[in-house]
Amino acid sequence: MVSPVLATLIWGIPYIGAGIIGILYVLGVKNEKVHGVLSAASLFIAAILATIVGYHVLASGQPILHEFKWIPSINVRVSTYIDGLSAIMVILVSWLSFLIGVYSIEYMKGDWGVPRYFFFFTFFVGSMLLVVSANNLLLLFIGWEGTGLASYALIGHWYTDEEEYWVGVPGRRAMGVPMYFEPSHSGLRAILFTRVGDIGMLIGMAIMYYLTGTLSITGIAAKAPSWMAWLASHHVLTLTLVLFTLGALAKSAQFPFHEWLVTAMTGPTPVSALIHAATMVKAGIYLVLRFAPIFYYGALNAPAPLHAIVVHDTYQYFMLVAGLGAVTAFMLATMALVSNEFKLILAFSTASQIGYMFLAAGAAGMLVAEGNVEGFAAGVLAGLSHLMSHAVFKAALFLISGWALHVAHSRFIDKMGDYAKYMKLTAISMWLAGLSLMGIPPLSGFFSKELTLHAAEEAHFQSGFLLGALTALLTAAYTTRLIVRVFHMPPYEEPEHKPHEAPILMLGPYFILALAALVLGASWWWLAKVFAKAGELTRAGQLALRVPAKMLIVHFTPVVDAVLAGAIASILIVWYLYKIAAVNFRALLARSALAKATYDFLFDRWYINAVIYIVFVYGFAGLALWLAGVDFAIDWFYHIGLIAFFGALSFATRALQRGRPDYIVSMYLYMAGIALLLAYILWR
Amino acid sequence: MTLILGGPLLWLSVILPVGAGLIAWLAGVETEEASRLAGGISAILLAIPGAIVAGLYAGGLVSEGVLDPFYATFHRVGTIALAVDGLNGPIVLGVSAVTAAVAAYSVRYMRVRIEEMEREGERAPGMGLYFFLYNLFAAAMLGLAMATNLILFYVFLELTLVPSFLLIAYWGYGDRRRISLLYFVWTHIGAVLLLTGIIYYGVKLGTFDYLRVPQLSPVGPVEAALGTAAKAVALLMSIGLFIKMAVFGVHMWLPYAHAEAPTPISALLSPNLIGLTGYAYARFVIPSFPSILLGWRNYLVALAFTTIIYGGLVALTQRDFKRFLAYSSISQMGYMLLGLATLTSIGIAGAMFHYLVHAIGKALLFMTAGVFITELHGLRDIRAMGGLARRYPLTAALALYGFLHLSGMPPSPGIWSEWMILVGLYRVYNHPLSTLFSIALVTAVALTVSAAYSFITMRRIFYGQPRSDLAKKGAEVRNVLVVSMFSLLLVGFLVFILATPLINSLMRVASLLVIHLV
Repeated sequence: MVSPVLATLIWGIPYIGAGIIGILYVLGVKNEKVHGVLSAASLFIAAILATIVGYHVLASGQPILHEFKWIPSINVRVSTYIDGLSAIMVILVSWLSFLIGVYSIEYMKGDWGVPRYFFFFTFFVGSMLLVVSANNLLLLFIGWEGTGLASYALIGHWYTDEEEYWVGVPGRRAMGVPMYFEPSHSGLRAILFTRVGDIGMLIGMAIMYYLTGTLSITGIAAKAPSWMAWLASHHVLTLTLVLFTLGALAKSAQFPFHEWLVTAMTGPTPVSALIHAATMVKAGIYLVLRFAPIFYYGALNAPAPLHAIVVHDTYQYFMLVAGLGAVTAFMLATMALVSNEFKLILAFSTASQIGYMFLAAGAAGMLVAEGNVEGFAAGVLAGLSHLMSHAVFKAALFLISGWALHVAHSRFIDKMGDYAKYMKLTAISMWLAGLSLMGIPPLSGFFSKELTLHAAEEAHFQSGFLLGALTALLTAAYTTRLIVRVFHMPPYEEPEHKPHEAPILMLGPYFILALAALVLGASWWWLAKVFAKAGELTRAGQLALRVPAKMLIVHFTPVVDAVLAGAIASILIVWYLYKIAAVNFRALLARSALAKATYDFLFDRWYINAVIYIVFVYGFAGLALWLAGVDFAIDWFYHIGLIAFFGALSFATRALQRGRPDYIVSMYLYMAGIALLLAYILWR
Repeated sequence: MTLILGGPLLWLSVILPVGAGLIAWLAGVETEEASRLAGGISAILLAIPGAIVAGLYAGGLVSEGVLDPFYATFHRVGTIALAVDGLNGPIVLGVSAVTAAVAAYSVRYMRVRIEEMEREGERAPGMGLYFFLYNLFAAAMLGLAMATNLILFYVFLELTLVPSFLLIAYWGYGDRRRISLLYFVWTHIGAVLLLTGIIYYGVKLGTFDYLRVPQLSPVGPVEAALGTAAKAVALLMSIGLFIKMAVFGVHMWLPYAHAEAPTPISALLSPNLIGLTGYAYARFVIPSFPSILLGWRNYLVALAFTTIIYGGLVALTQRDFKRFLAYSSISQMGYMLLGLATLTSIGIAGAMFHYLVHAIGKALLFMTAGVFITELHGLRDIRAMGGLARRYPLTAALALYGFLHLSGMPPSPGIWSEWMILVGLYRVYNHPLSTLFSIALVTAVALTVSAAYSFITMRRIFYGQPRSDLAKKGAEVRNVLVVSMFSLLLVGFLVFILATPLINSLMRVASLLVIHLV
């Protein structure tokens, strides 16, 4: 039997580690090794604890709960609950973070902000582990905001904003809006974009708390039928659920909040790996995976007179989630096709892949109309499995990009080339991770992606399925383009230094992760059982995500075959265009206006950033200026206008006191009149 | 059961700082050692009430109320007493923590300020008078928070006004004589309106008490007793308090006074003094006029949102760091008003907790502004800053922590007040669809504006490259300025972690205030 306190320590240890790093910094400890090792050590301990606790939960079939009081009067408890879903999440997050932490020690050597880096890095992981294991909504939200704060600090790590740390092409504008971003600007975008969503989430939480009187997630789940029915009877169920989910959409960079993520690569590369693979963006989809069963359970069990309307509203909500996921998947994949920055391509790909997870969870939820619990469970677990595959291969890809950028002294892929000649192991890692992203068997990405598409198909969500399938082809295309460009074609400009293989502390982590993508895929039949077990241990009210393991294994149906064939065809076409036909795309762009317009549309990210800036950022800036004018007017009214008015009044009345004879005479007459009046009143 | 203290600790905690300040003034503080001594003693004496209240919280005694044994009842006046309970506990803590930290901070800041004034050929009064006025100001705020009777409340209110007026007039910046007068006149108008309401209330009821002594329970609704005048009294008291709170429309004095006061005084005026009127609103206006306020609720919520968004957006257009902070204070008062306007126990509790949050956060930020004024030759123009985190890393971290308070993000205690205010708001406005939608939209705008001006200003001041030669100079020295700020950071973090007794007793007392509102 494992002591339940270990569950709390999973997230407690990184927080303590961050605290010690911070204290040492304030005390003036400058040795960067100390900070790096402390960070990695605390993450390692967390990973070991997560493995022990997670294994125990999955093996014994008993979720672990550890809690103590914090603020009883508003029902805040420090409550850690490791069930099937959380078990998988803590293991995944802690190990990935540990590997990235080790990589960071080498990568950040000699940087001027090492203590700050490791402070926020460790704090980041602690917050993420808190998110995925908290059983109290407000406690979860504290971790949630912690990830926001840490990502802000780390994305803006090089806040002095030298041009080498920017993202985007300097000088480029779309609709007049600059499309290049300094680190401090990107950090600002990250925290403000996600903040908008977080407010929605807080509102949703406040309403749930008001209706249930509890913040415990299991408590809210148990009461879901009644509070959802109450909201539905007041016609605000869909809106409340959407408001609550805005937090997840923003965190996970789903349309229309995806913009912050694609500029978030201004931070050190391990940070990008952390944000994209293990923390931050995964928090959003985790929240959806956690609450989808709750909403599903609430809708299925709503009291009879309201049952139909609750199901209807919940179906609408899930369709919105699935739709946004599908749109994001497709939209961001098209942007990745034309991007010329290594990390930017990976960033587009992250938002796109997370779109798949939202699609899976949302489509699964749409089955609420049929009351199909097994299909729902399969869909949610498909989302979880894709989360896992994506975390592994995306961490590998980002860590590789860190080395690639370092070697090229540039973030642009045009400056890179022929890396396969100089670094065999890195090339192998890149291909393994890339093929996993493209969804090619036997890598893990294939299985999980097919499962998510299957979920959309199962829910009869044709448009979502089609977008998803199309995205699979685009994914194969842009990934191949990236790999061919960087690893198999000569650079456009000869580099000054010959590239060479990465040092072991950097190579090790990404090589292990790339192999993991292969191993996980090869053992999918076993993983399916683990996920089935995890699903069984994930409960919302009376509903468990019970599903036979064979439903989580991909069967080669004609649909699967078609998607796979399409992906392989995309790879071959791109390979042919670049390597064999050697098409000169630059010349093509110069020749054709249509090609150029399409290219600009995609390169400037569908002009969404420009529109957001023009409408919201510039809109509010204009409003602020206008209000400053109003403020000036108020100031003038009180401090000049009123004073002038009373000054004039004073001037006028002063005339009575100036001793002029006519006024004195009139004053006497006036006084005499009053005296006469008084005399009359008394005499009468 | 109310606890009656064994000795007059509360009265002493008000009187001692004044006495020490008086001695400092009469003895004259000429040398640097003497001013250090005066600052140190003031800091310790001002920290004592906070320590007492923290001790009472630790003993679980606050929520039932703690009364000073020295109290007396007068005919037609009521009982003059000082007390601490769940509602003013956070207020006393906030005033005490900030005034103590700022007292230490003043030692260096004011010396530099006085030297600067003398260089410019002005004769500035010395540190002795400064500490007398400072301590009088601080102690009056403590008394204001702990009073149980409207007469005593008003006396303390005027006692805050006079020293703060003189502090601005003697050591302020810019056109300080005009601005101190402007401040005096404006807040006096507020005070007089309030006084009119108070007099009517007290004469009609035969007592000026708002808390029953020794039970420390609210006197409760007086609408029936005041009859037709009740609405007028409620209006007079509301407008009077709103002027001093600087809500939208009557806020115009604040940017001048808070920007041009000497920075330690800004750090007291901005979060502490104006927030006290919000406390007064919860303390006697809400329980006295429940059904009138229920009728005004929608207007008050609208006024609160207007204040938040207006203050926040106008703050964004400011060039002067301190004026920016002043507008941000207006915006933050909007949050307090929002919590109060929900007329729910959790919303009121959130508003009171926000007092403490804002006190710590805004004091940290004004002290940040003061660091640059002192170390970088009066640098206040945000446009001329930039990149300062590189040479002032600890100051940057402290300022970031201050901004987290303003935007309600953990690990600052701001998360608690934000949460409680929102729960109160959505307890009232959760349906129908159009209401929920529009209130959610306004909430999103308001909270985003707060976060936006915080983080945008953080970027303008600390990130990027220096935008002037002045901003390229200097480097962080860990002197008393930074150390006193750091102590506030610790207070903020402790309040975040150990919020339990504060919020528990707040919730208990706040539920008594709204008992007639259901």
